[in-house]
Amino acid sequence: MNVINFDFRNEVLKHNASLSYCYQCSTCSGGCPIALITNGKYNPRKIIEEAILGLQDKLIERQDPNPWLCSTCQRCVELCPQNVELTEIFTLIKNRCFENHKYPEAFYIQGHSVYENGVAIPYSNAIIVRRKNLGLPVIKTAPIEEIQMLMKETNFEKNILKGTE
Amino acid sequence: MVFDLFLGCVIPARLPYLEVSSRKIFEKLGIELRDVDGFSCCPDPTGIEQIDHKTWLTLGARNLSLCNSNGGIISFCSGCVETLKGVNYSLNKDDEVKKEVNDYLNKVGKAYDGKVEVKHFAQVLYENLEKIKDNVEKPLEGFKVAIHYGCHYLRPSEIIEWDDPFEPVTLDEIVKNLGAESIDYDLKMECCGNPVEKSDKDLSLQLIDNKLKAIKESGANCVVVVCPACYQQFEFNQRELNKKNNSEYDFPIFYLSELIALAFGFIPEELGFKFHRIKPSKLFESINFTV
Repeated sequence: MNVINFDFRNEVLKHNASLSYCYQCSTCSGGCPIALITNGKYNPRKIIEEAILGLQDKLIERQDPNPWLCSTCQRCVELCPQNVELTEIFTLIKNRCFENHKYPEAFYIQGHSVYENGVAIPYSNAIIVRRKNLGLPVIKTAPIEEIQMLMKETNFEKNILKGTE
Repeated sequence: MVFDLFLGCVIPARLPYLEVSSRKIFEKLGIELRDVDGFSCCPDPTGIEQIDHKTWLTLGARNLSLCNSNGGIISFCSGCVETLKGVNYSLNKDDEVKKEVNDYLNKVGKAYDGKVEVKHFAQVLYENLEKIKDNVEKPLEGFKVAIHYGCHYLRPSEIIEWDDPFEPVTLDEIVKNLGAESIDYDLKMECCGNPVEKSDKDLSLQLIDNKLKAIKESGANCVVVVCPACYQQFEFNQRELNKKNNSEYDFPIFYLSELIALAFGFIPEELGFKFHRIKPSKLFESINFTV
């Protein structure tokens, strides 16, 4: 059963009022390279419809359609005749999935690396040697204490350390 | 004009040879790129932003706060450019967001006003097209190039504010001015599929397979890209697809900077071409391009 959660709907609307302009014309899905080849598993129009209806459980718990299949190509945003900021709304939904520890492992790996190293891909010894051989300069990345202090303030630390289900 | 160079993560830590050609061509053009210590991940608009928008804004603003060159920031990566432009856009659109982000930054003794200009390296190159023409020593005759613009170089256009989101021309113009031919192909404006690899590898492979098929049909003999995520998607998956589907993809994948460097007369040895998985040497032989 689908339950309407008004608080969730209002939260999305408050975050991005453009949601209310959607009239479900499906231009987004028609221009979406993922919708084209996933046979209903991913469908931007449907995600927006569920957001308008406040179907929190479907969007966050069951992830149907799966918002993580968006390739962030931004075609839908560009094409929408109503200027609905679809990818911003998808980002909010995925952020809520993250807070509920329901998200793909690869995002955890990247998030954890940035938390541990300040960068998504730390410099391996082999790369440091290769850079030297290629005549490239030594790059000093961000002081990790500073990055972790910011991540603590934004609550990222708490969420990333809980991992994903 | 001096630019602060924002390298990001993928190029310097995984594909440093792409950094070599990029640095060399800017030096040759007399455009100074200043290295800056202390940057973090931009952070990735297809990664960190998707799990925590607020952290993405805050770390992005922190990176921008470290810059003070008169040209602003230049980056060799479309993802970094999208993030840094996107952070500027969000902060300048909403005073509350700007205040919240600055409240965080103040805790580590930093502040950001949203004013640093951000440019993709291909934009700076296009703006210096005349200088590029003047420096071409070896026109790229025989290069039939399938240009892949990629998504984040162009969209969302309201944030990127560069070229047309669906009918772009800038990379075509640059490539043509090197003496190469830009080959039109079906799916030219489609996504390479790299970001979705994090959630569904098969889906990601399907997207790149479709593009490669279209490129094969077009008669192009190489691909040019301006984003390290697209680069990896094209370069690292051709063999995997060949194994899986018995296809015969063997397109050399060039970074735009590599094509320009070749046209400027740099040789493969000094550009680190040996690190390419699909060696460009075969192409050079087949079109009699002497390096």
